[in-house]
Amino acid sequence: QEVTLRLHQFLPAQANVPVQVLDVWADNVERDSGGRIKVERYASMALGGTPPELMDQVIDGIADVIWTVNGYTPGRFPRSEVFELPFMVSDARAASSALWQMYTEHMADTDFAEVKMLAMWVHGPGMFHTNSPVSRPLDLQGMKIRGGSRGVNDLLALTGAEAIGMPISGVPEGLSRGVLDGATMPWEVTTALRVSELVENHTEFEGPALYTLTFSLAMNPDVYAALPDDLKTVIDQNSGHDFSVFAGGTQADADGPARQLALDRGNTIVTVSEADAQEWTGLVSPLYAAWVADMEGRGIDGQALIDQAQQLMADYTPQ
Amino acid sequence: MTNLEIGIASFPALLVLIFLRVPIGLAMFIVGYAGLYLVTGSSGMALARLKSSAYSTFASYSLSIVPMFLLMGYFATLGGMSQAIFRAAAAFIGHRRGGIGMAAVASCAGFGAICGSSLATAATMGRVALPELRRFGYAGGISTAALAAGGTLGILIPPSVVLVIYAILAEQNIAKLFLAAIVPGILAAIGYMLAISVYVRLHPDRAGTAARVGWPERLRLLTGVWPVLAVFIAVVGGIYGGIFTPTEGAAVGALGTGLIAYFSGGLTGRTLMEAFASTGKSTAMIFFIVFGAAFYNGFLALTQVPQELSTWVVTQGLSPLMVLVVILLIYLALGCVMDSLSMILLTVPIFFPVMMSLDFGMTPEHVAIWFGILVLIVVEVGLITPPVGMNLFIINAMDRGTPMSQTYRAVLYFVASDIIRVALLVLFPAITLFLIP
Amino acid sequence: MVQQLHRLIYALAYGVAIIGGIVLSALILMICASIMGRTGATLLHSDLIGGAFPDTAARLLGLGIGAVKGDYELLESGMAFAVFAFLGLCQITSGHATVDVLTDRLPDRARRLLQMGIEIAFAAALVLIAVQLHDGLQTQMRRGSVTFLLQYPVWWSYAAAFVPAVFAAAVAVWMALVRTAEGLLGRPLIDPATGAHL
Ligand code: NA
Ligand code: NA
Repeated sequence: QEVTLRLHQFLPAQANVPVQVLDVWADNVERDSGGRIKVERYASMALGGTPPELMDQVIDGIADVIWTVNGYTPGRFPRSEVFELPFMVSDARAASSALWQMYTEHMADTDFAEVKMLAMWVHGPGMFHTNSPVSRPLDLQGMKIRGGSRGVNDLLALTGAEAIGMPISGVPEGLSRGVLDGATMPWEVTTALRVSELVENHTEFEGPALYTLTFSLAMNPDVYAALPDDLKTVIDQNSGHDFSVFAGGTQADADGPARQLALDRGNTIVTVSEADAQEWTGLVSPLYAAWVADMEGRGIDGQALIDQAQQLMADYTPQ
Repeated sequence: MTNLEIGIASFPALLVLIFLRVPIGLAMFIVGYAGLYLVTGSSGMALARLKSSAYSTFASYSLSIVPMFLLMGYFATLGGMSQAIFRAAAAFIGHRRGGIGMAAVASCAGFGAICGSSLATAATMGRVALPELRRFGYAGGISTAALAAGGTLGILIPPSVVLVIYAILAEQNIAKLFLAAIVPGILAAIGYMLAISVYVRLHPDRAGTAARVGWPERLRLLTGVWPVLAVFIAVVGGIYGGIFTPTEGAAVGALGTGLIAYFSGGLTGRTLMEAFASTGKSTAMIFFIVFGAAFYNGFLALTQVPQELSTWVVTQGLSPLMVLVVILLIYLALGCVMDSLSMILLTVPIFFPVMMSLDFGMTPEHVAIWFGILVLIVVEVGLITPPVGMNLFIINAMDRGTPMSQTYRAVLYFVASDIIRVALLVLFPAITLFLIP
Repeated sequence: MVQQLHRLIYALAYGVAIIGGIVLSALILMICASIMGRTGATLLHSDLIGGAFPDTAARLLGLGIGAVKGDYELLESGMAFAVFAFLGLCQITSGHATVDVLTDRLPDRARRLLQMGIEIAFAAALVLIAVQLHDGLQTQMRRGSVTFLLQYPVWWSYAAAFVPAVFAAAVAVWMALVRTAEGLLGRPLIDPATGAHL
């Protein structure tokens, strides 16, 4: 063994993403390198710090590889936010593919210039999990909701809901103490946080999802540069577009069992049809406009990013 | 040296610094810094971590409960609540043999219900009850020992600062841990009262009794306790009743006791400043230890010591109960020289993974809560075990006439009751867990 | 001279800690206001109250009754400031937790030299923390992250914490100077710090 890579991330080692995505990546790298690379896995922020610090940790060399939610530092990766806009993404594989392509075209030298990006993906459809049923925006009035992203918080404000800014780890306690009436997250996350035991109503959307978050699996560029060429190849072959699509798809597929768990408990699942979703999507056009204006202030053509993301997702063909 | 060896060598290095009287937070920071240097070959990583680690340790929603509970304790004293509790308790049981001592323990338990710190409980109730104990003919040793032991109820009975720190380290639900601590906390109070009753039977000359107080007077004194009850119900009831989070509960408690202190005339500009200064000093001390521990633990994780240790323990084929007993004995030994918070911060990241890798036939959450309560108790025992017991020092310093050796001897009765209680809780996890769904 | 300067620095440290206490109190009041607003909004939306007095309820809600927006992030930012503000007083009163069993038996001179080394190390650590916090502040300014709800720049919180961090480092340097002088002269220059911490 020649090289040890420290992989640092915020979830417990036995959670879905570490087991089904990150361990797969690490095992593949170890195998393909013939044991010359060893990936030491540090779960639950074991090396210290808080989740929003992960990206700086990989830039500063505290970890060699990190996995993080880009939205933990709102405003820092403006171009990736296009996939976090409400009702933007329908399919995690298509969106992960589009995200990776737009990363290479627009973000590699800008938002993420300081890291060697290995993969970027989105999670399955983000949705409402609430103590009283929600099918129309009006239903949210006065409800205390922990929003999963900045875009969702803005949407919540428009519906008259109260956006509560607690960390995701506080959600189970918040729900059980009535500090929260609900939270937004994809199905997959509900198992670890036991959300289906704490609330009885879930609201899904046909077509574009309420929201998604984008993830980065990133490496320290100097560590990558210091690798011998054949080990660089090992990293490259296990990273990039295809791994991004695999990761997004795997994470979305984990939604199924979690959804079944809620059904088994007898919980109510409201599915808003694409026609009924008009009432929701109509609300968000000012949010899109505000985001485009915000991007313009940063010298970024936000509308072009939205158009390109939608085009790439529409063009996506499953392999 | 391999990384693992560096990690292992960091323990003796840390202990040497601590015994050289280097403040514990600073010692952990220095060893963590040097360790990161040795493992990575440069100080780059340590410096990079420092860019955000002090800030993000201090800017913590969960930890902010600590200064709020501390402030709540000061306000409670300023509001005269400590006196009210003791007077009521003494009126009810003071005429029995050992009754005043038991009343002191009971009022420590009562004050512990609105105070999150052992030392604050010991110091506060010491100020109130020590003169009374001496007035009723209690010998120096039993007076100081009873109050030092009673002080630990400040942590054992929720709210509890140390339990908050454990909850954060072990990623467990603070409210559930508080709930689990209630019965063991009450058992502790009963155990201490039994210890007093054994002591006064063996040494009848070392304790007197008060005159019996009539029921009208008892009831009158009991009404003086209502603010304490109101605050406890508001805070703890609010947390369990689903009105607010533990951090919010601490804020409500601080405001509530603050208002009571204000309307009772105890809170003036002068005393408010003193409360701020004392809370600030304790807060800075606690947060700096947390910062040093977080820094050290990041280094320790990098050396893989915690993982290797838990793997090693599991492959030894020891019975889980045996491992637990060994860990608790290590805590008792450490407790003879270290304070509880530092011990928790230093050891939980190492022992917690070990505990979670063993099969006790319970859910992981139950193991985590059970272990948390056991650790809480053994580290609190450390506060009253000679030679270094912070509570012993604080109370003994208030009673200049009593030599430390007398306090040491008398406190052994309370330590014995602690050990019996720990054994009960180890053998019957249900005592701790039956309230937890 | 040393005594007078020490008294001045102590007064400053005390004052800064009081400012920390005022910030802490403000945070406590904000949280209580947030709980009341949140509970009030829930009641006004409920069938019982909101249903019985719909106009009043709507008017009150229109006034913005509800949880304090961004209470979590405000609490975190404020706490970082408050803790750094408390650090100076803890430093000047030797309020940090220590283990004294062995050193109590040392002769005076050895104890003074030990104390000198410790205070120098502590000063070095706090200066390092302040310097690196400044580095972190600049990094945050460059990154442009904002908070989730109120969307104020994260570096504002770093900047707020940096001011008392520098003060705490300065107090630590002063204590290191005093203890060094004491160690070299072999006699105390200031009143031994008093006040047991709780
Ligand atoms: Na308590
Ligand atoms: Na001890």
